[in-house]
Amino acid sequence: MNPVLLLRVHRGTATVLALLAFSAVLLVAGLPRMFERSYDTSLRGTLDQVGANITDITVAMRPPGGVAGLSGEDQLRAAYTHFVAAAPPALAAVLDRRPGGHGHSAIKTYGTPVAGRIGSPPRAYQYVNVAWLEGADRRVRYVAGAAPGAPSVMRVPGRPDLGELPLFEVAVAAGPSRQMDLKIGTTLLLGNSRPVIARVTALFQPLEPGGPYWNHNLDALNVTVRRPPGGDVDENHITALTSTASIPLLSRQDRELSYEWVVPVRTTAIDARNAAATTGGVIEYRRELTTDAYRVLDYVSALGVSPYEVTTALPEMLQRFLARLATAQALLFLVLGGVLVVAAGVLGLATRLLAERLRPALALARARGASTGRIAGTGAAAVALAVLPPVLAGYGLTFLIPGPVTPVVHIGTLLLALAPIGYAAVLLPLTHRRPLADRREDMVARRVSPRRVVLEVLVVALALAGAYLLRTRGLATDAAARGGDPFLMLVPAALTVAAALITLRCYPYPLRLVAWLTARARPAVPFVGLALAARARSVTALPMLILLPALAVSVFGAVAGGTLDAAQRAAAWQATGAGARVDSAAELAPATVDRVRRVPGVRTVVPADRGTAQVGLSGRTATVVAIDLDAYRRLVAGTPLRVPQAPADPGGRAVPALVSPDLYALGSFEIGWHVRMQLAVKGVVQGGLPGVAFAERSLIVVPYDASRRAGSRDHTTMLLIGGDGVDQARLTEATGGRRDILVTTFEGSLAKVNDTPLTGTIKNSFALATVALAGYALLTVILALVIGATDRTRALSYLRTLGLSERQAAGLTVLEITPLVLLTACAGLALGLVLPAALGRGIDLSAYAGGQAVPAYQLNVTTPVLLAAGLVAVTMAGAFLHAAIGRRRSLGSILRVGE
Amino acid sequence: METSTGLDTPTLSELESEAVRARPAFGEHSHILCDNLVRIYKTEGVEVVALQGLDLLVDKGELIAVVGASGSGKSTLLNVLSGLDVPTAGVARVAGTDLLAMTAKDRLHYRRQVVGFIWQQTARNLLPYLTARENVRLPMRLAGRRGRASRAAAARRADELLELLEIGYCAGRRPGELSGGEQQRVAIAVALANEPQVVLADEPTGELDSENSEHVFAALRRANRELGVTAVIVTHDPTVSEQVDRTVGIRDGRTSSETLRREDSDGAIIAEEYAVLDRVGRLQLPRDFTSALAMERRVRLELERDHIGVWPDRPRPEDPQ
Repeated sequence: MNPVLLLRVHRGTATVLALLAFSAVLLVAGLPRMFERSYDTSLRGTLDQVGANITDITVAMRPPGGVAGLSGEDQLRAAYTHFVAAAPPALAAVLDRRPGGHGHSAIKTYGTPVAGRIGSPPRAYQYVNVAWLEGADRRVRYVAGAAPGAPSVMRVPGRPDLGELPLFEVAVAAGPSRQMDLKIGTTLLLGNSRPVIARVTALFQPLEPGGPYWNHNLDALNVTVRRPPGGDVDENHITALTSTASIPLLSRQDRELSYEWVVPVRTTAIDARNAAATTGGVIEYRRELTTDAYRVLDYVSALGVSPYEVTTALPEMLQRFLARLATAQALLFLVLGGVLVVAAGVLGLATRLLAERLRPALALARARGASTGRIAGTGAAAVALAVLPPVLAGYGLTFLIPGPVTPVVHIGTLLLALAPIGYAAVLLPLTHRRPLADRREDMVARRVSPRRVVLEVLVVALALAGAYLLRTRGLATDAAARGGDPFLMLVPAALTVAAALITLRCYPYPLRLVAWLTARARPAVPFVGLALAARARSVTALPMLILLPALAVSVFGAVAGGTLDAAQRAAAWQATGAGARVDSAAELAPATVDRVRRVPGVRTVVPADRGTAQVGLSGRTATVVAIDLDAYRRLVAGTPLRVPQAPADPGGRAVPALVSPDLYALGSFEIGWHVRMQLAVKGVVQGGLPGVAFAERSLIVVPYDASRRAGSRDHTTMLLIGGDGVDQARLTEATGGRRDILVTTFEGSLAKVNDTPLTGTIKNSFALATVALAGYALLTVILALVIGATDRTRALSYLRTLGLSERQAAGLTVLEITPLVLLTACAGLALGLVLPAALGRGIDLSAYAGGQAVPAYQLNVTTPVLLAAGLVAVTMAGAFLHAAIGRRRSLGSILRVGE
Repeated sequence: METSTGLDTPTLSELESEAVRARPAFGEHSHILCDNLVRIYKTEGVEVVALQGLDLLVDKGELIAVVGASGSGKSTLLNVLSGLDVPTAGVARVAGTDLLAMTAKDRLHYRRQVVGFIWQQTARNLLPYLTARENVRLPMRLAGRRGRASRAAAARRADELLELLEIGYCAGRRPGELSGGEQQRVAIAVALANEPQVVLADEPTGELDSENSEHVFAALRRANRELGVTAVIVTHDPTVSEQVDRTVGIRDGRTSSETLRREDSDGAIIAEEYAVLDRVGRLQLPRDFTSALAMERRVRLELERDHIGVWPDRPRPEDPQ
């Protein structure tokens, strides 16, 4: 028995098997790469959005006064080397240790006030810190003056009490020098208690102002304007750079100094796979430095308090990303798992087709003395010859798809290669072990063994228990942050198998009912078709196991996608509050409002006034919104926004108001806003007014004309706009393009929510999986029909000799497959709709809905039902196609075959 | 110590040797032995008794036909004899092999070395994509004859077999290029490939016209005579009895009759039909006999000096009432 010869004889079937294996490997080995790549892209996007000062690790030390300072640069450099070496392996792997990188040490004074100027008039509220930055001289270009030199001493004219003071030569960035009037030659008296003198000798321009080095030292490039609490004047802070020679003097014990070491992180080295480890590495690094015995300066910090402060936002950023990734991975795992199961199932079906084709030859060989081992070996070799080359080709081809390779790529490929071979190796000996023992084709179906019933009940019970546990326990474990929960991964598969088992068991009952009805009807075709369907034993189980997960995953994808879409739209509506919104810090002029009304697309404009008011005469404040609630409700009709009823007007001077629950107890009270007004509380507004006022507490909603009624006039600080396709740019133009006027549109908000990393990946992969699964569903039905084609054509040919028309024969074929497809479609639809509920807590979509909580999956059944109907239509078309092709063969040739 | 009492009573050792002395068992020297063979198919509460206590003895080198109506159990018998099916009870022994006690390995050896068989469907006997010679060599290769010498020997034997069956000219042709009769003769060659002791044929001429049937029977007879193979042919064609030495009829899962063919002194062929008497004395009366005399439920037997009389169960006219 030569397997090559067998394959050559059955080359059509072998080609089908090969193509299926090829496509399955492309999907299973290609999709994970695409997923991983998109995870990495989104992580890269997240990390690239922020500056190096956020992602790098800064080790800072602020020694208390009285600690002896450094003697020179070397000590700082040694400390830097130590801090880099102290990184645990997980962190060390992503550190940037290249020579010439932006890692550096620094010494900075902080909060150093300018006590006065020597030789020029004083300027108030100025702070000039003196800093030494390692490698700064290479990263600046002096535009005026000479680089700062060694420190010297100087006496302050007119202040003999100060004695000789140290003088630092400093360089100031050119921009701040103008802003703070620090020209070359300006001599500053710094500090009040232990003053020093700083003289500006140079002005510099940074060579790479946007680069990571200066990102850590923005205080040297830009003036920091700060208003102290309770003050009404701004303070200006700048950091001036001094020379390396000044280090010993600068780091003397009597200054308030901050020593900093910037340990740079290569963000390009962080990807979705090592993100969790990196987070752990940073946390471990923090812990290590707390107990680090290494001392840069000789002092002992308070017990249990680390001398070093590690500053980085990297772990927080990565953790946020990982939370989002966990959801994406769980969703994509479902998709990939579904595709893998279905692909393996279809491969199994095709293998069975080949086994069916090989059966006569193998049966003959078996009868003529072939051992079962030989039968298994020949069959498995034939399948391996058909499957292995395309699997290898597909596997090789996926290396063209950019993206990192994860173990799942190899495992999936291996599984897909081994599954059909193993299936053939097991199926064939089982079929040919004892050809005739206790089996006759003319006997009725066998009774199910109790053992099998128990096993099936066990599987169903396990699946239900798993779903229950998942729902009650959720995924609130450490595992969620570190990747998908293995339990979550098994529950959908178990539920699918359970659903398939239940469907298989229940399949005969509705069929029996329909058959009973059709047996009483006049036309023979439905009765015969259903009878054929009832007897089609071999065709039932495997296709059902394929169609069910295919539909379930597609429906789940549709539900999850729909929910995500709805949640994103809701988030966008809540962010905007209307089709578009104009917010102004100051009052909007009537002319501006008129211009806004004339912007193309604007239909309705609801003016509103939002501000902060004093409650009663106390210090308590509340957010007040003056708005015509009825007009606003009309504006947002048909959107997810809910607007409360306008309060009834009690008449008189009191203004009717809705308040947040915390103010409700006050009953009737007075507020001081534009004017003082008496409020009559008429109701409660729960959960704020999304899009208008986000405050859920201390919120008061009054009619738009409240101020006028209280004796003032109408004020407008906000415009809520209804209309179609209102252009943000035009709206901004209409409002005069002022910086204090904020224009948001629904489309803009939606785009912002949609830009959430990974959102596109999730949506696209659901679409891709649905298309792939639909293709597989069609193939399944055709393969199932082809496997039983010989028996069917013979049965149909006999019926045709009895007067069955060709059209009726085609109808019979369609009818034969219909109950299976219909029942599987119903079961798959139900499972797909149940899956979100079963996994509801396990998969949190809120990260993709602008942070807004997604309370429950929204059961919009239109798409799932369309999917199920599509599946039914596609498979029926397949059956009809198969019947139409079978029609071409002549009756005589069929009836002679094998008789 | 042995002491003789002088009496004619057997000693203990004599009794022992008497007890263990083999008496000729039923069909001890038969090549094929079926004794009280039962085969029951059970499915979901339905039992089909295909063989209900069938007895059959075939001597070595015999050529017999098993005939019977459709559903009489003849195909089941053949499946049992070919080792494809296992009987539910009884004894089935072929060439010394107990068919009820075979392990999987024995069964494989049995199929490879002891029996060869031919199915009714010409297409089922041969692989369509192998030539006649390759088809004949297939069982030899499956039996694991390896090495160049044995391969050459196999090729030679295949050709010899085809020549013997007068289809040497077909050696290089595929089944599609052969007539039905030629296909069945190639199938006989395939069945004979591993020099089996028994050849079983299930309706070998069922799909053939009379001329081709003639060829196939001639081939089977030649194999039987020249190679000394025991041949059992199952058929529902009653005229087959003219072609074989003995025809066994099966009815309702039991052997019911035998027809012996012999030549009389003039050289004319005489076929005589016998009823079969099984080991416990059961006898099946031919249906046309019983219906002609309206025998139902029971009959009256009378032992005469040289025969047994069988009478319908009704009062005889000469009986005085």
